[in-house]
Order: sequence, then C-alpha cells, then structure tokens
Amino acid sequence: MTVTPFLSIKNLTVKFGGLTAVNDFSMDVMPGSIHALIGPNGAGKSTVFNCISRYYQPVSGDILFQGTSLMQTPAHGTAIRGIARTFQNLELFNGISVVENVMVGLDAALKRDGKRLSPRQMRLEAEAILERTGLADYRNEQADALDFGHQKLLELSRALAVRPKLLLLDEPAAGLRNREIAALDRLLVDLVRKEGLTVILVEHVMQLVMSISDGITVLSFGQKIAEGLPAEVRQNQQVIEAYLGREGGAAA
Amino acid sequence: MDWQVIWLFLQQGVASGLVTGSIYALLAVAIVIIFKTTDAPNFAAGELFMAAAYVALYLLVFLALPFVAVVPISLGIAFIAAALFYRIVLQKIGSSAAVTVNVVIATLGLSFVLKGLVRKTGVGDVPRSFPSIFGNDTVMIGQAVLTMQDIGILVLAVLSMTIFFLFFNFTRTGRAMRAVGMNPKAAVLVGINLRRTRMLIWGLSGLLSSLAAILIAPKILMTADMGSVVILGFAAAIIGGFTSLPGAVLGGIIIGVVENLVGLFISSRAISVAPFVAIMLVLVLRPQGLLGGKVAVKKV
Repeated sequence: MTVTPFLSIKNLTVKFGGLTAVNDFSMDVMPGSIHALIGPNGAGKSTVFNCISRYYQPVSGDILFQGTSLMQTPAHGTAIRGIARTFQNLELFNGISVVENVMVGLDAALKRDGKRLSPRQMRLEAEAILERTGLADYRNEQADALDFGHQKLLELSRALAVRPKLLLLDEPAAGLRNREIAALDRLLVDLVRKEGLTVILVEHVMQLVMSISDGITVLSFGQKIAEGLPAEVRQNQQVIEAYLGREGGAAA
Repeated sequence: MDWQVIWLFLQQGVASGLVTGSIYALLAVAIVIIFKTTDAPNFAAGELFMAAAYVALYLLVFLALPFVAVVPISLGIAFIAAALFYRIVLQKIGSSAAVTVNVVIATLGLSFVLKGLVRKTGVGDVPRSFPSIFGNDTVMIGQAVLTMQDIGILVLAVLSMTIFFLFFNFTRTGRAMRAVGMNPKAAVLVGINLRRTRMLIWGLSGLLSSLAAILIAPKILMTADMGSVVILGFAAAIIGGFTSLPGAVLGGIIIGVVENLVGLFISSRAISVAPFVAIMLVLVLRPQGLLGGKVAVKKV
C-alpha cells in the first residue's frame, strides 16, 4: 500500500556561509497525521520550517507539497496554498488587538476562497477561533499585553484563521502551564482527527510529543539520526544519547 | 493689545492654522505611511510634492485642461511615479531594514532628479502662480476671514484623510498595509505580498503629496524649491510620534495653528522658527511624540 506523502522533503541541504545547517535531509509526512520533528537546540528544526514556509532558499533538494514542488512558490504564496505556521520566537502584530491579529490571518483564507465578509462577520469568525484556542477572554487586549504562553496560542489562532491544510508548529507548548498543554493536546488531536489537518510539530515538551505524534523524525546537527513511531524513537540508543541524555530518563 | 484684538487674532489664527495645518497633516501622513512600511524616511517627499504641483500646473496652464480633468490625472501620475520609484529603484536596493541608509540615499537621489527635471523643462525657472480652484471670495467665520480656497482646502483635506483612514482600517488591503508596518515577516506568513503592498503604499503617498500640492499651490509662490514646505510635514510627523497616523494629523494641525498664532501675536518674521520651537518643546517634554506610544525600553 502506498499513500502519497502530504509533504515530502527530499535531500534538503541548507548552508549559511560555510555552516551547513541542514544536511541532505529527507522526511515524508502522511496526510492527516501529526509528525514531530525533534532534536537538540540548533539541530536545524526551525531551519527546515523556514524552508517549507519559503523564508530560506535551500542550496539543494526539493520540498513537495501535495505532490508539487514549493520551490517556485514565494513566501507569501504558502498561506494561499494552505500552509500556516507559528514561530519559536513570536511574530505577532503587536500594535493591534488579539482579535484583529486573527482577522489578518482570516484575510488570507478569504482571499484564497475569493470571498468577502463584512467587518462584523469577520470579527465573529475570528472570535470563534479564539473560543477554540481558549483566548476568547483576551480578545480585546493588545497582542503584546498577553503573557508568553498566550501569545503562542494567539499565533496558533492566527495560523488556524488561514484555514490551513498543513500546520507547522514551532514549540507551541513553550510557556504554557500543564493544564494549557493538555488543552493544546486535545485541540491538535481534534484538528487532525476530525478536520483532517496535517501537523508538523517541533517541540521540546516530550509529554506532548509522545502522546500525540503519529511519527517522529529526530534531527541532530542538521542530520537525520532516527525516524519512526514514538515508541521506536524513544528506545533508539542514538537518540537517547544525542538528545534525551545518556540516562534517557527525561523522555517520559 | 486689548482683549477684543486678542480674541480676533485667536479666531483668525486658529482658522488659518487649521487650513495650512490640514495640508501639513496630509504631507505628514504621506511621510509616516512610508516610514512605517519601508522603515526609512522618504527624503524625496518635498520634491514629489513640488513635481506634482508642476505636473498639475502644466496640465492646467500649458495644456489648458479643466480642473475636473487636471486633478485626477495629476493624482494618477503621482501615484504611478511614486509606485514605480519603489518598484524600480528601492526594490532593487532591497528595502529591508538592514539597508536603511541605502534607501535613504536613494530617496535623496530622487529628490535631486525631480528638482533637476523641473529645472530642465524651463517651467521652473521663474516663479509662477497656480490658479485657485475655488476662487478667492471671502467668507466670515465668527470674526475670522477665510477665502473660498481656504474652505476648499480644509474640506477636501479632511475628506481625503477620512477616506484614507476608513480604507486603512476597514479594508483587506488597508489591513495588509498595517500588518506590513507592524511585522513584515508575519505579514508574509499570512499571505501578504510585501512588494505589492509597499508599492501601493508609495503610490498612495505620492497621491497624498500631489493632493496637498494642488490644494496649497494657489496660496504659495511656485518655484523649484517649494518642496521645502514638506519640512513642516516632517515636523508634524515628529510631533505626532512619527509612526502614528492620528499623531501625524494632530501634529500638522498644531504646527499650522502655532505658525499662524505666532505670525499674528509676535511677528511674521518669527513664523519660520515657530514650528521648530514647537518640535523642541514636544521632544523635551515627550520624547516619543504626542501619540508615539510608550518610550521603548531596549532589552539589554
């Protein structure tokens, strides 16, 4: 049985000057799955994200999204093709309110569908998204007045407003409390299982990664060192040494 | 000076100040929208204003076109010229924040080019006067005397700024422009085309400068150096905080009113100093400008 991968990264190499950030990296992500990309700091995870969202141009390699290459798509075209993401270090619109941040994301979805909504309808739709991510109470706050965890959730809300088919999440759980992580866990599972989204997750909170991922790819120093089901990766000796520490106790 | 005279001067100063102030406000808005989205001040703003006035003069006097045709054509030419300058020159330089100096030098270059072009045509060799759109019949408002041209300036400037604010706040393109101003990286992420948006911003800025030029030209002497008026647009932008649009409008009105009051109460020779005293006062008392938000605390 062969399913075409939803996103397929082929032999990706990224260099910054003399430094090779990502080396000959390949990864397939199946439709409707949650795929985790993990690895120590500086392993090149965010660099891979930046290639998918077209901020970086790789030296070589290709990225196929639903079977077609992304290499000709400009950065602003990825949202229109259905890819949304969040950043490790927040990239919000700080001068405006929480709900307006989401409305800017909504514009991308409306543009793609060739639809127009009245400002009132847009606001209602944006508020519905905030309801889902648990930010409804903060809708009229300035984006930069939120704490870090909530700003991360706001980025996720804005990404959802784009109505993506593929969602790239760069450390969404950073700064969240345990209760909020559990809510995020439920939300992501909901999005994938019920709405058929595909999610690629870069995350250090292992509890989240292990509980919701369908597949895990491990990067270390720009190289893929392991790939497989959560249980397999957890037991991989190389992974334990490179990433989880020699004792491996931090895994669960 | 008795109270009656003071009251009369106050009325006249505020009324005339609102008129010139609305022009400064237009120019300040044109400057601020570029600064917010391109991260560099446009030092060709004055010469864009000057060239736009000459384009309108040429159409009006040399081609004898009626005002109804001159205004839209002039605005259109200014829009296209400014947008093309962004597309052809600044886009190539790379308009990212990393090369702000290069962008600034390029705008200075444009200012010389425009001034040179106007001089080259010969039209700018002698001072000229620009016909008034609305005529010079006078109206009394309270005890203040304004001309119909003054009233026209005020009404059109306020109207166009209102339209601009509605556009900026309630349309998809306007929202995209604000998003680019706040965070270009995130704007790209949600599908906003930076190049196209910045081009539009430059075009709009050109259009606003052109409108200001057509409105104020009848009240000033036209020379190739008339662009120096725009320094007051910069002054207005600084008073307002340089990144705030309402601030730019407020700054414009303050400068206009201060100029006129100083001219009436102190001396007409003090007029040119007054705006800069106002800037210094604002910057000393409120370094971020009137509506410039909080003073940024740099992370260390």
